Amino acid sequence: MASREIVRYKSPARSAFSVLVILFLIIFFVWTVLPLAIMLITSFKDLLDAFKLPQEGDWGGVGVMFDFTPTGDHYIELFTEKHFGVYMRNSLIASLGSAVVSVFLGSMAAYALSRAEFRGKRDLLFWIISTRMAPVVAVMVPLYVIFRSSGLVGTLPGLILAYTTFNLPFAIWILKGFFDNVPYAIEEAALCDGCNRWQALRMIMPLVAPGVGAFIVLCVLFGWNDFLFASIIGSGGAKTLPVATAELVQPVKIQWGSIMAAGVITTVPMMFLGLLIRRYLVTGLTMGAVRE
Amino acid sequence: MAVNTIDSEPPELSAYRGVRRIDHTPHIFNNQPARYYLMWLLLPAILLLAAISLYPFVWLIYMSLHEVQLAPGKSDLWAGIDNFTRLFSDKSFARGWVTLFKYSALCLSVEITLGVLVAVILNNSRLEKLFITIFLMPMMMAPVVAGFLYMFLYNGTFGWYFWLLRSLGVLDGGSILGNKTWAMAGVVATDVWQWTPLIALITLAGLKRVPQEQLEANMVDGAGPLRNFFSVALPNLYPFLLIAILLRFMDNFRFIDTILIMTGGGPANATKILPTYLFDVSFKFFELGRGAAIAFTLLLLTILLGLALTKIFEDPTRKIKTSGTE
Repeated sequence: MASREIVRYKSPARSAFSVLVILFLIIFFVWTVLPLAIMLITSFKDLLDAFKLPQEGDWGGVGVMFDFTPTGDHYIELFTEKHFGVYMRNSLIASLGSAVVSVFLGSMAAYALSRAEFRGKRDLLFWIISTRMAPVVAVMVPLYVIFRSSGLVGTLPGLILAYTTFNLPFAIWILKGFFDNVPYAIEEAALCDGCNRWQALRMIMPLVAPGVGAFIVLCVLFGWNDFLFASIIGSGGAKTLPVATAELVQPVKIQWGSIMAAGVITTVPMMFLGLLIRRYLVTGLTMGAVRE
Repeated sequence: MAVNTIDSEPPELSAYRGVRRIDHTPHIFNNQPARYYLMWLLLPAILLLAAISLYPFVWLIYMSLHEVQLAPGKSDLWAGIDNFTRLFSDKSFARGWVTLFKYSALCLSVEITLGVLVAVILNNSRLEKLFITIFLMPMMMAPVVAGFLYMFLYNGTFGWYFWLLRSLGVLDGGSILGNKTWAMAGVVATDVWQWTPLIALITLAGLKRVPQEQLEANMVDGAGPLRNFFSVALPNLYPFLLIAILLRFMDNFRFIDTILIMTGGGPANATKILPTYLFDVSFKFFELGRGAAIAFTLLLLTILLGLALTKIFEDPTRKIKTSGTE
């Protein structure tokens, strides 16, 4: 940046300003990381330790947070007594199933939409994006009635289909933007060299493969983190991790240790996936509007 | 048409003339106009999408005109536009809209301010990489888990944020999620925690597109960093911020998981935004006909937002995609 090359003289105002900036960054850092740290720490505490707090106004007592003997009981309990292994499998099947269906069909449609010009294309695209933007609760009202009458409530296929309502339009929309950036000249050249259209499509596959992979991951993320569909449509036979976590809240006492452990189990895999597709994340979360 | 004459002449003659003949039959796909081939690629996805979105939409309209009976054997009663007219006298419905806009306005103003500030500070600094990695973490968390986490932090007997607020002397007693004002602030804070990073990332992407020449020219003319930001960087950021605002607003009423977990709309309906009310009507009281009418009004807002978004996407002058080749 050009401004770096300009000689700056130190003045009290300027150094005060930079102290403020650093302070702001530190506060923002703590604000972002602290809840995550507390979640992780609490998941290893037993109930007595988890409820320990210093006296109000006793700033020196913050150390209490780290004063505990780590225990893995909550995790063990979740997987042995609470069947979290099953729920994890349900979550994985539902989100991965929907992601694969969506991205497979979506990439075909996106390619066609990117290469073809026809009347009504704008309306079609508008329909697709507004399907994706529809509020989950509003979609769920009629979907619940339909699924109830066709016996899909409480089954994994039902949940996969429900997730596809938001994953498929997302995949079509975002992959269209992706194919738009691949020059048609590549396919043309392949066609001139005697390829048929399938083979020409295969030529550009290596160019789009990383993106397609990243958007599969993103679709998995959307499905994995969903709660509303899972709680209404998946209730009973297809319980996923978020729903199982919410069920740890019992009228008599809320099992905070287990909830935090369940939170860690639900969150950590997604964080790793997020880091994995970091390059495509902003593009994906903004529906392709912003590219880095 | 030399090729054709060779194609149509008998092979013996070609051999006689010493012309090497390539036997080429065009592949079946190449033989047809491209649009059929593309249509077959497009069709499966469109049919599936129609089945899971258009068909339910038709159902939604049907339901909004009926009194839906969930018990087996009973048939739905025709209600006409009763479900809609009842909305006008429904105070919770109107309040739901007001709360929704209040909630979104609070979330967005804080998120945009903080996000832009953080992005401007971080841009081109050594800490950029580290912070971007940290930013990812809250965004990847399931909203339900975030809701529980903050519920834990706000708890009146062992919550760390509760303790912090009490120690600072800001909170007068009572609990955070039990007080009308504080509950709204608590819910907004959760959203801010989760999604400010996204705004910061979008702004960072935008800042990378600000033309350096303009900044330099402005500086040569004697502008300080603050002036530079407001008169050069910010106008260049507008399209990015607009997208951020639209998307966040959309998500504010798409996802209600956190609110549902933390307050369920309470206390005294202080955080009952319209989708939460819709959830209660449809899946607590199971008045699906009325729910469908409410859902219909929500979908209208969605369509308006969708129109705005597609406008932005199609605007050829917008600066976002210009250098967007990956």
